[in-house]
Amino acid sequence: MSDFLTLGHINPGFIIILAGLLCAFVPSSQIRKALVLLAPIAAGVLIFKQFNAAEVIGGIWSVGPIELTTLRIDSLAIVWGYIFCLAGVLNAIFGFHEKCKLTDSSALVYMGAAVAAVFAGDLITLFVFWELTAISSVFLIWKGGEGSFAAGIRYLAYHVTSGVLLLAGAVIYGLSKGGDYSFDYIGLDAPGAWLILLGMGIKVGFPFLHNWIQDSYPKASVTGTVILSVFTTKLALYALARGFPGTEILIYIGAVMTCFPVFFAVIENDLRKVLAYSLNNQLGFMVCGIGIGTQLAMNGVAGQVVAHVIFKSLLFMSIGAVMHRVGTAKASELGGLFRSMPITAVFCMIGAGSIAAFPLLAGFVTKSMIISSAVDFAGHGGGPAMWVVVMMLLFASAGVMEHSGIKVPHFTFFAHDGGHRVKEAPWNMLVAMGLAAALCIFLASPLGGYQFLYSMMPYEVDYHPYTTDHVVFQLQLLFAAMFAFAFLKRKGVYPDERRAEILDFDWTHRKLGKSIAGWVNAMWARLAANTANVSDAFIAGTGRRMSQLFSPAGAFSAASPSGLPALLTAATLVFAIIIIFVAAA
Amino acid sequence: MTKTTHNTPHDDGHGHDMPDDYSPEGLAQIHPYAKPFLFLGKESVKRGFIWLPVAGLILVSVLGFFFPPKHPAPWDFGFSWAVIGFAAYTIVVLSAEPLFKLLARGEDYYGEGEAPKLELKGDSYE
Repeated sequence: MSDFLTLGHINPGFIIILAGLLCAFVPSSQIRKALVLLAPIAAGVLIFKQFNAAEVIGGIWSVGPIELTTLRIDSLAIVWGYIFCLAGVLNAIFGFHEKCKLTDSSALVYMGAAVAAVFAGDLITLFVFWELTAISSVFLIWKGGEGSFAAGIRYLAYHVTSGVLLLAGAVIYGLSKGGDYSFDYIGLDAPGAWLILLGMGIKVGFPFLHNWIQDSYPKASVTGTVILSVFTTKLALYALARGFPGTEILIYIGAVMTCFPVFFAVIENDLRKVLAYSLNNQLGFMVCGIGIGTQLAMNGVAGQVVAHVIFKSLLFMSIGAVMHRVGTAKASELGGLFRSMPITAVFCMIGAGSIAAFPLLAGFVTKSMIISSAVDFAGHGGGPAMWVVVMMLLFASAGVMEHSGIKVPHFTFFAHDGGHRVKEAPWNMLVAMGLAAALCIFLASPLGGYQFLYSMMPYEVDYHPYTTDHVVFQLQLLFAAMFAFAFLKRKGVYPDERRAEILDFDWTHRKLGKSIAGWVNAMWARLAANTANVSDAFIAGTGRRMSQLFSPAGAFSAASPSGLPALLTAATLVFAIIIIFVAAA
Repeated sequence: MTKTTHNTPHDDGHGHDMPDDYSPEGLAQIHPYAKPFLFLGKESVKRGFIWLPVAGLILVSVLGFFFPPKHPAPWDFGFSWAVIGFAAYTIVVLSAEPLFKLLARGEDYYGEGEAPKLELKGDSYE
């Protein structure tokens, strides 16, 4: 039975995708902007109407022997569904000034695909929308102008590979279960699970697979970067949380993810790239939480996804607004912008405080759940390795304070005066940033704010973030980091921002791989040329020899003694008789 | 009251002379909301900023002895997270120079051009 288009069972993402397709044909930018704003609102309302506190399954569609479940809403998926719709509204407001049909259309299709993937009930449906997010979002990168085309191609290569791995794993997994492709807990012991995990790992930015984030996000358009920062990686997080909760290897992968970007962010000059590394670092906390897999950890992951989408968007928006006005996001060329863009500066600092997990700001009430779950896990059988993980998470928390909490606002709005006297950000950007900043404050408010956030979590929450010890020790970490910054700055040890390309693991394919491919190509061309020469010489030589033998002027045409052919015939006959004799024997 | 040091132009770090923030010419270019906070740009304020985290750090470090963590890690003591925060931050910053020497290359190292430089929208605040 096909009921995937009945309103009660329609995947809310379809509405957004449809709006995106409409946008491609609507010439009026006002109508397009209305669609961009209203589509995520409509999808959010539909989610609210469809969800009834229990798991909702619908949108069943039979394709040959495979039964697709295009709608599954439960307490886990709904968190991602709501936050994606909210982010869609913020993005729509932020990009209101941009009259670009391609951006409007691709942003909606991308957002819709992400929402549809989150509500997919089976792995095949997930794969379809997984790939659609990649294909639709690459246009946002290509809108970035010079230098973005190659980054877009690499982005596509990563994500199509991710999709192919997901599909391969899904097919193996589904066939092993007798054709059941339901997307529920998978675990690493299932056939095809490693392929699925690797596919998800690419999209979530596992170490050594993370470079597409730092490569493509800073090269996208101002609006495009904000949109991109929300959906792709968070969709992959959802998929991990659905398929691999409690998978131990994710704890260690997540811990590494939290730490290594810190070292790149400190020397990176492009602030959008700094934020991209910061994104990697934050994803690490959530991957680690998924690996721990306890109820507290999973609630922490879901809460951190909500908070992270908001404060990371806010940070990307504020740097995007600066880029919109100043024309660059390079720290070496910025500074002192609080004189021209004071409102943006305040919003940026709220975002920075949130990501650094200052009390009364969003990250404080969510990230602490993940760290607390890690401490609990270590103290109850996690072993010494888990304590190392806890230490890595604390180290990374101080690292977040360095690159996102201090570096981004300091080098943009304070530090030395870069001499830019520009207008404050456009009104629509200020509204979007203001809403995001208000949410950062509201969601951490002890007066009902964090309780509201916790009410959305997949499991019942028994956690109180505002205990005195928690506030005190978190402030110790943050004040110590601030003191270290001020102290090292005074001592002249803090590095100046310098223009440079910082090499990362993508060097292996952008330089080494390219050089190897170039060498192989050159060698192949030489081999082909030499082979052609040899073959030409062989053919020419053979032809010449044949001509010498069989042409009218050749040796065989020349007059010869009649005994010679007779002798040759007799020899051939003897040879044939010997062969036949041997074969018969 | 105007201090003489504020009336001299200053270098913006890119070789351009900028009007002083407090001069009429400089003030005209400052956003109205930012004018009460121009003191943040003063060198003395920047240098004195360190006392804010110092005061906060002392306070929360003392409080740490009275409110120990309910679920302590093996290394936890009264101001353990302050030590971790300072050490971690310092390690990250001190690693910057050697890492930069190891990993930094020219901006067009990959030969794909720089990141997009956008057209300026609004040159000055009026």
